[in-house]
Amino acid sequence: MSITRRDFIIGSTALGAGASVSAPFFLPRYHFDRRRKRSRVAVLHAEQYSQKLDEVLRAGLGLFPLDVRGKTVVLKPNLVDYLPGDAINTHPMLVRAAAEALRRLGAKSVVVAEGPGHQRDTQLVLSQSGYQESFREERIRFVDLNRDELIRTRLLACYSGMKQLWLPRTVLTADFLVSMPKVKTHHWSGVTLAMKNMFGVVPGARYGWPKNILHWKGIQESILDLCATVPIHFVIADGIVALEGNGPLNGTPRPLGRIVLADDPVAADATCAQLMGLDPDRITHIREGSKFLGNSSLVAVDSMAEPVSAPATPFRVVPEFEYLYAL
Amino acid sequence: MVLSDMSAELIRRQLACGGWSALRSSAQPALESTCYSVLALGPEATDIRERAQVFLLRAQNPNGSWPVFVGDDKDGSWLTSLVAITLRDRVSAIPARLKGLHWLLSSAGKEANWFWKWKFRTADRHVRFDPDKFGWPWFPDTVSWVVPSAFAILALNQLPCSCGGFELAPSRLDRGVEMLIDRACPGGGWNAGNGVVYGAAVAPHPDDTAIALLALRNRPQDPIVQTALNYLERSAPTLTAPWSLAWAVLALAAHRRPITFLRSALLDLTNLYYVEDTSTLALVCLALDHEQALVSLGVTP
Repeated sequence: MSITRRDFIIGSTALGAGASVSAPFFLPRYHFDRRRKRSRVAVLHAEQYSQKLDEVLRAGLGLFPLDVRGKTVVLKPNLVDYLPGDAINTHPMLVRAAAEALRRLGAKSVVVAEGPGHQRDTQLVLSQSGYQESFREERIRFVDLNRDELIRTRLLACYSGMKQLWLPRTVLTADFLVSMPKVKTHHWSGVTLAMKNMFGVVPGARYGWPKNILHWKGIQESILDLCATVPIHFVIADGIVALEGNGPLNGTPRPLGRIVLADDPVAADATCAQLMGLDPDRITHIREGSKFLGNSSLVAVDSMAEPVSAPATPFRVVPEFEYLYAL
Repeated sequence: MVLSDMSAELIRRQLACGGWSALRSSAQPALESTCYSVLALGPEATDIRERAQVFLLRAQNPNGSWPVFVGDDKDGSWLTSLVAITLRDRVSAIPARLKGLHWLLSSAGKEANWFWKWKFRTADRHVRFDPDKFGWPWFPDTVSWVVPSAFAILALNQLPCSCGGFELAPSRLDRGVEMLIDRACPGGGWNAGNGVVYGAAVAPHPDDTAIALLALRNRPQDPIVQTALNYLERSAPTLTAPWSLAWAVLALAAHRRPITFLRSALLDLTNLYYVEDTSTLALVCLALDHEQALVSLGVTP
C-alpha cells in the first residue's frame, strides 16, 4: 500500500486534531498535593442552638493543635438567603461561638465574610437571619464578599477550564480561613458542605446572582478549582439542624444534632456525607478532592470525638442523586 | 438623619479618580456605586459630576461596554445599561453612550442561541422558563437574569428613536419584557430569575421585584405586574435593610402606590452614616428624592 502526499497530510491533520481534543482529558488537573499525612475530625454532639454552644465548641477546638495566635481569621458561613423557618443558613449562634473561641485562642482579628449567592441585599439577609444583632452585640466585623475589593487570581487546578477568577481581597489575604457550612443536600451538586461553601467567595458584583458562571463551568469542577486556589484551613460544619430534599433552598429541615470539626475540608465533607447516609466516594468533588486536597479515607483520618455513624434513614436527595445512597 | 447629611457623606466618599468604591473601606473604584452616586447627587453637584463623568468615560471598554470596576476584564458587563442611564443628559458623552447602547443591543442571554434553546427545551428542564423569551446577562456568555434585563430595558427605553443602527431595539425590548413576565415567581414578584426550580416555587426578593417593576412601568395593567406590586406593598413595611426598602420606595412611587410611611421608615433606619455599602447610601438618597430619581431612570409615574 502506498501513501500519497495527500493521504499523509489528511492523516496528520486528523491525528493532530484528535490529539488536541483529547489532550485536556489526559493532562493532570492539579500540580500539588496538599493532603496531610493524617487528618483530624471531631463529630460533636449538640441538640440545639443555645448558649451552651460556646462550651461545646471550645472543648471541641481543644482537640486540635490549633495555633491561630496573631493570625487574621476569616469565618466563612453559608448565608444564602432568608426563608422563615428554613434551615438554609449556618446558624448565627454557631458563628458567634466560633468567633469567640478563636479570639480566646489568640487570633489577631476574626472577621465573618460571605457573599450570598441568591439575595443581592446582604444586609437584609444579615438582619433577617439574626446575624446583624448577634454581630453588633459581640462587635464582630462582617465583610460582604460580593462587594469586596477584587484581585485577579490564577486558579491552581484546572477542572473547570477557567484559568482565573476575580476573588475578594479579604479571603485571599486571610491567614486562617474557616469554612462553616450548613449541612445540606443540593439539587445541582448532591450535597453542599465545606468545599461547596466556597462558592460564596466568588463575588456576585462581578459574576452576578446566582453565581451562574460556576454552574456553566461545572459545579463539581468549579468546587475543586476554588478549593485548590483558596485553601480552607479548618471546618466547623453546622449539622445541628441540617437540610434534606430539594436543597439548598427548598428542602426540609432535618435535626441531626451534630457539629463537625476538621482540619481537612475533604475529611470534613466525607464525614458529613456519612452522617447524611451518603457515600462520599460517589460525590465527585469529594472523590477527586481526596487525590490532592485532603483525605476521605478513614485510614488517614483520626476521629477525635464521637464515632461517625450513618443515620437509620438517609437524607432525602432529588432523584438525580439517589445513586449517592451508601450501599 | 436628613437627605443633605447623606449627600454630604456621599460626596466625602468620592475617590480622587472621580469614581466611588463599592465599600467605604475599599479604594477600588466600582461602576455601580459610581452611577448611583452620580444620580443621587443630582445636577447641582456640577464639579463632582464632571469628575465622575471623566472617570466613567475613561473606564469604557474598547468594544463600547463598561466593566464592573476599573481594572476588570474588557468583555463588558450589565453595568453598561446603568452607565448609559447615568450619562443620559451629558452632551459630551453622547458618542460613548451610543457606543455602549450598541454593545447592549448586541448582548443577549445565552439562551438566545438555537443550541442552548434546544438544550433548555429538551435536556435541561429543572428550571422553569421559556428560552424563547430572552433578555440580558450579567456578563457575556451566560444566560439572562432579571436585574440586568430590567436595567437594559430602562436604558434602551431612553433612546429617542429606533434609528441609526438601533432598528432592533423595539423587538429586543419586547422580548426583554416578555422575559421578565415569564420569569416571575408564582406567588408574585421576582428573584434573580428562577421562579420555579425542581417543581418548587422559589421566593421573590423585594429589590429584584422593585427593579423589574421599574422596567415594567409601562405595563401597569398586566396581572403579573399587579401581583408583584401587591407583593411589594405587603413586604416593604417589614423590610429592615435600606437597600431593599429604597428600591421598594422607587418602584411603588413609579406605580403611584403610597410611599409616605415607607419614606419615613427609610429615614428612621439608624446608622445610615455607617452603611458600609456606598450603593446603598446612594440608593437611599435617590429614594428620598424619588421624583428626581424616577426622572433620571426615565420612569415617569
